[in-house]
Formats: sequence, C-alpha cells, structure tokens
Amino acid sequence: MQAKGSRAPSLRALPFLFIVAALLGLLPLLHSHGLQPNPMLASEPPHHYPAVISGSEPGDFTAAPHDVSQEIRPLPNRTSPGHVKYRKAFPVLGIDYTHVRIPFEISLWILLACLMKLGFHVIPSVSNIVPESCLLIVVGLLVGGLIKGVGESPPILKSDIFFLFLLPPIILDAGYFLPLRQFTENLGTILIFAVVGTLWNAFFLGGLMYAVCQISGTGLSHIGLLANLLFGSIISAVDPVAVLAVFEEIHINELLHILVFGESLLNDAVTVVLYHLFEEFANFEQVTVTDIILGFLSFFVVSLGGVFVGVIYGVIAAFTSRFTSHIRVIEPLFVFLYSYMAYLSAELFHLSGIMALIASGVVMRPYVEANISHKSHTTIKYFLKMWSSVSETLIFIFLGVSTVAGQHYWNWTFIISTLIFCLIARVLGVLGLTWFINKFRIVKLTPKDQFIIAYGGLRGAIAFSLGYLLDYEHFGMRDMFLTAIITVIFFTVFVQGMTIRPLVDLLAVKKKQETKRSINEEIHTQFLDHLLTGIEDICGHYGHHHWKDKLNRFNKKYVKKCLIAGERSKEPQLIAFYHKMEMKQAIELVESGGLGKIPSAISTVSMQNINPKALPVKRILPALSKNKEEEIRKILRNNLQKTRQRINNYLTVPAHKLDSPTMSRARIGSDPLAYEPKSDSGNLPIITIDPASPQSPESVDLVNEELKGTSCLPPSPEEDEEGLVMHVMEPSSPGTDNVFTPGASDSPSNQRMMRCLSDPGPQPEPEEGEPFIPKGK
Amino acid sequence: MGCQSSHPSAIPELEEIMQETGFSQASVVRLYDRFQALDKQQKGYLSKYDLQGIGELAVNPLGERIINAFFKEGEELTNFRSFIRVLAHFRPVEEGKSKETGRPEPMNSRLRKLQFAFQLYDQDSDGKISRDEMLQVLRLMVGIQVTEEQLACIAERTIQEADQDGDGAISFEEFATSVEKLNIEQRMSLRLLK
Repeated sequence: MQAKGSRAPSLRALPFLFIVAALLGLLPLLHSHGLQPNPMLASEPPHHYPAVISGSEPGDFTAAPHDVSQEIRPLPNRTSPGHVKYRKAFPVLGIDYTHVRIPFEISLWILLACLMKLGFHVIPSVSNIVPESCLLIVVGLLVGGLIKGVGESPPILKSDIFFLFLLPPIILDAGYFLPLRQFTENLGTILIFAVVGTLWNAFFLGGLMYAVCQISGTGLSHIGLLANLLFGSIISAVDPVAVLAVFEEIHINELLHILVFGESLLNDAVTVVLYHLFEEFANFEQVTVTDIILGFLSFFVVSLGGVFVGVIYGVIAAFTSRFTSHIRVIEPLFVFLYSYMAYLSAELFHLSGIMALIASGVVMRPYVEANISHKSHTTIKYFLKMWSSVSETLIFIFLGVSTVAGQHYWNWTFIISTLIFCLIARVLGVLGLTWFINKFRIVKLTPKDQFIIAYGGLRGAIAFSLGYLLDYEHFGMRDMFLTAIITVIFFTVFVQGMTIRPLVDLLAVKKKQETKRSINEEIHTQFLDHLLTGIEDICGHYGHHHWKDKLNRFNKKYVKKCLIAGERSKEPQLIAFYHKMEMKQAIELVESGGLGKIPSAISTVSMQNINPKALPVKRILPALSKNKEEEIRKILRNNLQKTRQRINNYLTVPAHKLDSPTMSRARIGSDPLAYEPKSDSGNLPIITIDPASPQSPESVDLVNEELKGTSCLPPSPEEDEEGLVMHVMEPSSPGTDNVFTPGASDSPSNQRMMRCLSDPGPQPEPEEGEPFIPKGK
Repeated sequence: MGCQSSHPSAIPELEEIMQETGFSQASVVRLYDRFQALDKQQKGYLSKYDLQGIGELAVNPLGERIINAFFKEGEELTNFRSFIRVLAHFRPVEEGKSKETGRPEPMNSRLRKLQFAFQLYDQDSDGKISRDEMLQVLRLMVGIQVTEEQLACIAERTIQEADQDGDGAISFEEFATSVEKLNIEQRMSLRLLK
C-alpha cells in the first residue's frame, strides 16, 4: 500500500499534465482560427433573469462558431468564386477540430475536474486539513493562471450554464435525499433563519455599505442606496453548494446540518425576490409604497409558487412510475427529467427553481421508491451522487478560473468593509433569531450550536453568478461588486471552511452518529408518534402530531392508492422498512465477505442465494474442491434424514405458493422451509444445488457464531442458512400466505412447527431448515 | 376546551398538583378546563367511556392502551389529579435544571418518560416486553394486511436486536438503550404543556 501510495501521486500527475498540456496545446490552434477558447456557449439568454445583459457579454459567441465553422470546413470540392479549381489529394488523415470542439472541451473540463477529485483523495494528508472545495478553487486559479499565461482569456463561469446545468443536480441530490423527518421537525426554525435571517443580512449589509459609500474620500459616493441593497441581497444568501461541500466533511450532528443546509436551500426564494426587486427598482426614479407591497407579495408568490410547481411535477412523476413495471430501464430517467422540468418550469415563471426542485424530490420520493425496482433505485442514487459531485467540482474550479479571468476593480474600503459587515451581520442575525426561536423550541439551541450556525454561513457560487448577471448599463460598479463577492466567497470558503473542522473538535460539538437505523428505533418512533398523537387528542390540542397524523392517514387512504402500483400501496411503512433493512444486510453480508471464516462453499452458496437466477449446479460444482464436496454431501445426507422425518410428520398437503410479491418479499429471513414436499428430497443433485445449510453441527455453529458476531443477521437459525432467500416465489392462490407449510395457516401442527423452527433449539439439529430452496423456478 | 376558564380556586389541590407535576398555574387551569369538558356528566371523575368519546382516539392504533394508562389497575374512574399526573410526563424538559439531589425525580424527566412508554408496551407489568407483547403492539400498529408470520419475524428480530442478556424479552434497561438515539426529550414532549 505504501509503495502504491507513493507511486500513485506521480502517476496521477501524469494525466493532469496531459490534460493541461492538451488544453494549452489546443489553444493556439483555436486561436489561429479566430475562436475564443470558451467551451461554455450561451445559447440563449437565460429566462430567469432579465435578458438585458445578453448584448454585453464579452465576445459574442453565438455568432462566432457558425461563421467560422463554415469558413474552415475543409470541403475539398468547394470552390469560392474567382478561385482557380485545383485538385487536392484525397485526405487520408485530417484534423477537424471544430467539429468536435464543444463536446471535446466540455469533456476535457469535466475530466480535469474528476481527476482533480481523484488526486486529492490519493494524497490524504492535504485533504485532511484543507477541505476539498478550497483545493478545487486553487486548482481553478492555477488553471486559469496557466491559460492566461499562454495569452488566452480563460473561460468564465457563465450564469446560465451555472443555473441551468451545474446547480440543478446538486439541489436535486439534496432534495431527493433530504432527511424529511428532521427537516419537518425543525421547519419553523429553518424558515425563520432562511427568511428573516436573509432579509436582515441583506438590509443590514446594504444599509451599512451605503453609509460607507457616503463617506467622502472613498470615491464610492456614486453608488446609490438601491445598488447597495442589491449588492447586499446578492451577498447575503448562504450558499447550499458551499455548505454541502464543507459540512459533508465534518460530519456534524444532524440537527445542525439540517438547520444550516435547510436555510441555504430555502433562502433561494428570498434571494430571488430581493434580487429582482432591487434590480427593477434601480431603474425606477422613485420607490413607492405600492412597489414595496408588491415586492412583499411577490415573495409569497415566488416561494409558494415554486413549491406548488414542484409538487405538481412530483405527483406526475409518482404517477408515471406506477406504470413503469414493464420498462424498468428508463425508470431513473423519469425521476431526473420530471425534476429538471420542475426546475425549468419554475425558472420560466420567475419562481424559485430551487424550491420547486426540492418539493418535487420530496413529494415523489416515497411513491417512486415504492414503485421502482431495486436496481433503478440504486441507479438513481448513484447518478444523482455522481452528477452532483461533478457539478460541485466544476463549480469550484470555475470559481477559481473566473477569478483569474474576470476584470477586477479593487477598492480597499468597499471590500474590507463588506467582509467585516458580512460577518457581523451573520453573527448578530443568528444570535437575535436564536433568542427568539428558543422561546418556541422544545430542544433549545445552545450557544455552541449558534456559533456553528453562524460560522457555517458560507457564501458561494450562487452569489457570484448573480453578481455576474448584473449589467454594466445600470450597474457600472459591477466589477467592484464582483471583486467584493469573490473576496467574500474566498474568505468564507477558505478561512471558515478550513477552520471549521478544528473548531468543531475544539468545541466538542456533537458529531453525526454513524450507526444505522435499527428496526427497534423505527418501531419505537412510530409507537411514540401514535402515543403523542393520542395525548394531544386527549388534551384537545391540535398540534404538530395531530396534523402529521392526519396527513399520514390521508396519504394512506387516498394518495398511496393512486400513486403506488399494485399491492405495495397497502404495505405499511414498517414492513417496507423491514424489507429494506433485510435487503441491505444481505447485500452487506455478501460484500463484506463476512463468511470468510467459514468454508468457502457456504459463502459461495450464500452468494448464489442472493442471485437465484444463476444456475446453481454450474456455480457450485467448479468452485468446490473434491474434499469439500464430499464433506458437504455427507453432511447433507445425514441431515436430510432428519429433515425428511420431520417433513413426514408435519406435511400433508402441497405447499401453497405465496400470493404476492409483497408477501414473498416479506419472507425474507422468515423463510426456513420454502420448499415443496413434492420435491424429491432424496435427489442428490438437488441437494448439491442448494447446500444452503451448513449441515454439520460444527459448521452450523460456525455460521451462527459468525453471524452472531456480525450484528447483521439475527442468529435465528432458520434464517441464516440460506443466507436470506431473496427471490420471489410465484404468486399463487391469494389468501393463503402460508410459507412454512402447506395447509391452513392455523392448523396447530403448522403453528407448532413454526414455533419449533423459530425457536433456537438446544441442539443445532432443528436448524438445518432449508435444504429445499426452490431451485430457481 | 371549556368555553369559560375555571378560576384557579375552583381546582382542588392546586398547589400540590403544581408542586408534583411542575406545571404552571395557567397550564393546570387549561387542563382542568379540558378535564371538565371531557367529563360531560359533571361527575368530577372521568370514566373510560368519556375518554373513548374522543373521536381521534378511536382511530389511533394505541388508543385503548393510552386510555388505560390513565386508569389505575382495576379502577374505572380517574380524578383530575391522576389525569394530570399522566400528562405531566409530557411536559418539556427544562434546560439547565440540574439534578438537585434532595428532590425526587421530576415527572417529566427522561427516565419517567421512558418508563411511561415502557408501561404501554408491557401490559402485564412484569418488567419485560415479551415477544407476545411486542407482537401485539406490532399488530396494532401495522394493521390487518400483514400476515402472522411476517409479524412474528419482525417481532423476533426486534427482540433479538434489543435483547442483550439473552432472555428473549426486552427489559427496561434494554429498552432505554435501544431508544438512546431517539431524542426522547423532544419526541415525548408537548410544547403546549409547559
């Protein structure tokens, strides 16, 4: 590992160098064609923000490629009028860079971003001290510097690229996997921080900056109040990307995480409204009361409208997923597309796109997850993580590059005072609001919590992009604003981002608890929910629990029926949770190789049980050595006798198969005897097919011990042998759910056997349970 | 809630109640109003029938058990003092109130809350939640769609997860351990009952 580690950085460096060299090498090539090396073309002005700025972009890209590409296409037979026709040799090998230019450069940038991410993790020492976001910005600075050094102008993070392509994946990832329980429990707090906090920040900062600008001698007195307020509103919003990037690494406890993160998400509505407001007002001569009232109103429209749009799309997505059982492969695409459409639709109407995205993710998730296959679920999860990760990396890199590329105007007074007032505003805001909020909270926020919340108010790329959208016409001081914004971003990300980890350790803030949710917790949580609802009803109080309970009931009664396909609409939450847990554990067990101590046969066997489709015979036999095979056969033969006897005692009627996927899925772990008595137990091939149960007492004990050791599986005997039978047995006559044995579920002999089987008997003997896994029907 | 507020002097044993439960006078008055509103025949006592008249409790899976928790073993009626004693468990925990050694454990402490919840599980009061009791609770919460075996499986699993001393049942300590992460102080508190 050591050698590999030492070699790897140098190895890794090679691709970096290659990338950078490629980039640089191509630039002169492009330059010679009169193109600017900007991979980000603004195809059309963004709808979200006023389109007045499209004309003023440095360098008109929309026109350039078309002309030039026509110009340089090497059509051998093309004759321009007046030229003598000449015959070229047929080009065996040619270069047509312009043909692939845009995708090529985009891919190059993304590749660079990913390689950077890789590199940081290969060199762990650095990434322990410096958060990844800082490193990425530095890389961006370097790359930007390199490009500038070559004489090209580096690309700037264009706002519409940012808002339309880079931001949505991150927000969707956040929204889809939002821990809903904590979010709703703290919703009041989060809303107050997001709305009131941001407003306070904006006005406080704007006002103070205006005062600063009025001080004579700074040369800033031309900046009006509205411009300052606009600046304040841009810089005051806590940025979800930056918060995510930094907080992910420090593993802080869930309450603080959701408070800061929730605030960063929900303040988008406020930011949008304030931005538009002040931008419009800056054009007006006078601001009347009507305008202010309209502004106030627009806040509600923007936020609630955004949520409404999100909910609509979420419901449609959930409904669509109900019918996708036949085309499983495109299921993830529905989730992505509907969410993205929600975002775009909200942006279309100047509503809050972020809130729409969050709302759609939150609404669609429970229903979609009930409908889609397990693989689709995994796909969605990993695609979202992948996209958001890449987006985040790109954003930070481009922040660095844009810093180098942009025109800056440095004014000491303005920028330093911005920085100071930002910090002061944040601290005061958090302190004041917490004092107010603590009156209503059951679990109060301690000063430590307040410090972290204040310290975690990071600014990021959203502020930059919003600043970038300002046009020169109305805001001549745009460059100064941008410089100030970048300074604040750098300060918060570098200084606060780097120091927050040691501070968290120093203050001994509670960290996130890593353990998984157990079924106990789930049961007790639901139990307490019901209990509290009951107590609230007795007190006659319509509180938090009461409404939640009503919502749940409504959901169960009407909504689930519409949006979830088939039987699962009736599945209680507890059962769904149980399934998920069992599946996870089964997969973990296999992946971790937790059965390592046990003869390899058994682990192979467990694996094969997870994947029932694999032809068992082919899998098992080659894997076993002769001795093992013999051993297993002997063991099986012995135990078979005993099992046969028991079967003869208890069984009378052919087994009823399970009646629904739900029920059969519920058999996970509860399925010791999913056999059919018809199957000829004496048939050795069958036995070799599923030597699911380690038949010898020793191996049984080994299994049990091993499994007891790993807390994954319960040591209940009948469950571990087959390593959790996963596959679905064909549905059969509905109404009979009897797994264990054929016959009526209530017959006493069945019950006796059930109990017998579920009882960890004194000898290992009754445990073998399962030589008769249905062989991949 | 009653349409007119009762005068504090009308409440019997007001001082003792405030002392015992830690409620403020306003809360006690409010709860007394509620008590009287529930007590439709003005008996001064509540019977199970009165509590069952609350509509929402009827659809609550744990409705029966909650109602029974208000009544002592074998009794059919409960007076205001017992009524409010039960509700005292759900008072929010005060921050910063250090454990004064002289005083008895306050009724809304984490321990007491857990004990109350444990009692609701442990119907036969043997100090343990047996598999059957767990099964009953599961059956109540989950409804009718789930089969017996599934539930048995889940109950089994639950017991095994929590059971540390291997006796096949969950004792109070094991119960407390398994809900450690659940932030009981917040979950089992009603802001209303300050």
